[in-house]
Amino acid sequence: MSEELLAPMLGKIVEIYVNVGDGVEEDDDAVLIEAMKMETPIYIPCNGKVATINVKVGDTVEEDAVLMTIDPQ
Amino acid sequence: MRPYFEKMPDFGNPLKKGQIKRGVDNAQSLKAVEQEIDEAVDTIKNAGFSEEKINARGQMTVWQRLDYIVDKGTWSPLHILYNPANNSEGTTNVIDGLGKISGRWAVIIGFDNKVMAGAWLAGQSENILRVTDLAKRLNIPLVWLVNCSGAKLTEQEKFYANRRGAGTPFYRHAELNQMGIPVLAGIYGTNPAGGGYQSISPTILFAHKDCNIAVGGAGIVSGMAPKGNFDGAAAEQIIENTRHFKSHPPGSVATHYDGTGFFRYVYEEETGVLDGLKEYMAEIPAYNPRFFRVAEPAEPKFDAQDLYNLLPIDQKKVYDFEEILARLVDNSESMEFRPGYGPEVYTGLCKVNGFLVGIIGNRQGYLGKGYPEYADYPGMGGKLYRQGMIKMNEFVTLAGRDRIPLIWFQDTSGIDVGDTAEKAELLGIGQSLIYSIQQTDLPQMMVLLRKGSAAAHYLLGGPQGNDTNAFSIGTAASEVYVMHGETAAVAMYSRRLVKEKDAGRPIEPIIEKMNKIADDYKTFSRPKYCAEVGYVDEIVKLSEIRNYMVAFTGSAYQNPKSICPQHQMILPRIIKG
Repeated sequence: MSEELLAPMLGKIVEIYVNVGDGVEEDDDAVLIEAMKMETPIYIPCNGKVATINVKVGDTVEEDAVLMTIDPQ
Repeated sequence: MRPYFEKMPDFGNPLKKGQIKRGVDNAQSLKAVEQEIDEAVDTIKNAGFSEEKINARGQMTVWQRLDYIVDKGTWSPLHILYNPANNSEGTTNVIDGLGKISGRWAVIIGFDNKVMAGAWLAGQSENILRVTDLAKRLNIPLVWLVNCSGAKLTEQEKFYANRRGAGTPFYRHAELNQMGIPVLAGIYGTNPAGGGYQSISPTILFAHKDCNIAVGGAGIVSGMAPKGNFDGAAAEQIIENTRHFKSHPPGSVATHYDGTGFFRYVYEEETGVLDGLKEYMAEIPAYNPRFFRVAEPAEPKFDAQDLYNLLPIDQKKVYDFEEILARLVDNSESMEFRPGYGPEVYTGLCKVNGFLVGIIGNRQGYLGKGYPEYADYPGMGGKLYRQGMIKMNEFVTLAGRDRIPLIWFQDTSGIDVGDTAEKAELLGIGQSLIYSIQQTDLPQMMVLLRKGSAAAHYLLGGPQGNDTNAFSIGTAASEVYVMHGETAAVAMYSRRLVKEKDAGRPIEPIIEKMNKIADDYKTFSRPKYCAEVGYVDEIVKLSEIRNYMVAFTGSAYQNPKSICPQHQMILPRIIKG
């Protein structure tokens, strides 16, 4: 079962730190969202591999949008 | 009240792997700024004559005197970089801070005898007023190391007169005496005119055998009969007078110990003066700390070095305030007041060196769905909203009632704006918080962790609370400005841009001006600048913030003017419910 990485708030994607297929560890940087002039980092929720990335830099995302999925190890 | 305070709930977590990795660059950036501050401090320490030259004259430098008199590990310097008049000497020529002498906290200040033999310079009286305010706010002694050659005469117009000019500290000394706060003075060197009053205005005078204090010195006496110009005869007269006064300066120990008796004690050695001050400090009224402690002192569970990973120097980046606080308070324990209400601020009780303190700090980051409750837009920490400001009003008021000193941690971009926010009464509740702070009459300390901006800077325990803020410290990440430089540039030039564009004129000159404003804001908000102009009283390394919290708390509880018995406190009971 993949873990979903959700957007905590409406905002703009300013950075994506990983690629599909990357091996990742819990608490690695995943995505940086900008909202209200502040940058909020979103972290990888578990050790595993990046299965999908559903956004690109510059996208505006809604709250609870699925940003990426991680296959846990 | 042991069940409340001896063991409070734990908070904070060890650094995660990601935080360690991410923190490397951030720590480097913070430490680079700290290095810059260290270098500026070293320049002040080495200003004027060298230590060797002063020692060769048989004198100690002010730094050596401080090192001798202050209990090891307690010196918490303030105003080292303070130089509001931008003196070419780089200093106001007094060195001050909080420190313990003979186990008791004192505000300690001394003239830098390496620089123009401790002359009055511009900005010095303002520095001294900050120091006398500090003694007054904390109700602890002021200890002077006087060594003052008088005014730098070529710049007297900058500081001699005026309401907060060089004479004002003497009234403050009188005020401290009125309030029962002793001013002890160790006196060295030649102290004519202002230096004489600097010497005579304290409570008890401890003199070195070679010192002198006088209404006027050789220079003044020889110039007492102005004729409008100088000629050969006048010059000869001056030469004779100067020779005489150089060998017999007025106000020596023979006059003021043997004659007037102004000097209570005279010491052969420079260190003897300091030993005399130490003896008196050992007898200064002070509660044994156990009178007020609520628990045994304990270090935080987590390493202060973690702060370099946790506090982003990049102002856009969010962080977890509680993780910062957990590295500063005893045993990383906290009793949070109204958790969940007003999530943009933390308010709670913590312990510092075994003493109870109230802590208030801005939280950062997204505040969750449905907050602020009065608006349809999301709330972001650093900003203040209705609930958070109401919560701070309550907390401050209750802390005042319970006589618990407050430490503020400020990192704010301002109060929420717009008609919705106005309808939510934020303007009025903000001023209510100022009223609440003022009415506590509590000593308060402010740590400017990162941003102090907009009116929120005034509300969050800042130095504008002249009667409550004992002192403020900043960090390598501190910035102070009414608004961000880019925001200011837009505020100033947006209409002009439209006008020029509509008129078909080039907009590049306007863009240039906007960039200049943004750059100026950066220059005038940097930590070093904040310290030089006094926006904060010192820029402190992240790893040393707790030292200042210990100094503040110990001072505030040394001899407080009012007491709430621990078992009659109401704030901890409200927290418990």
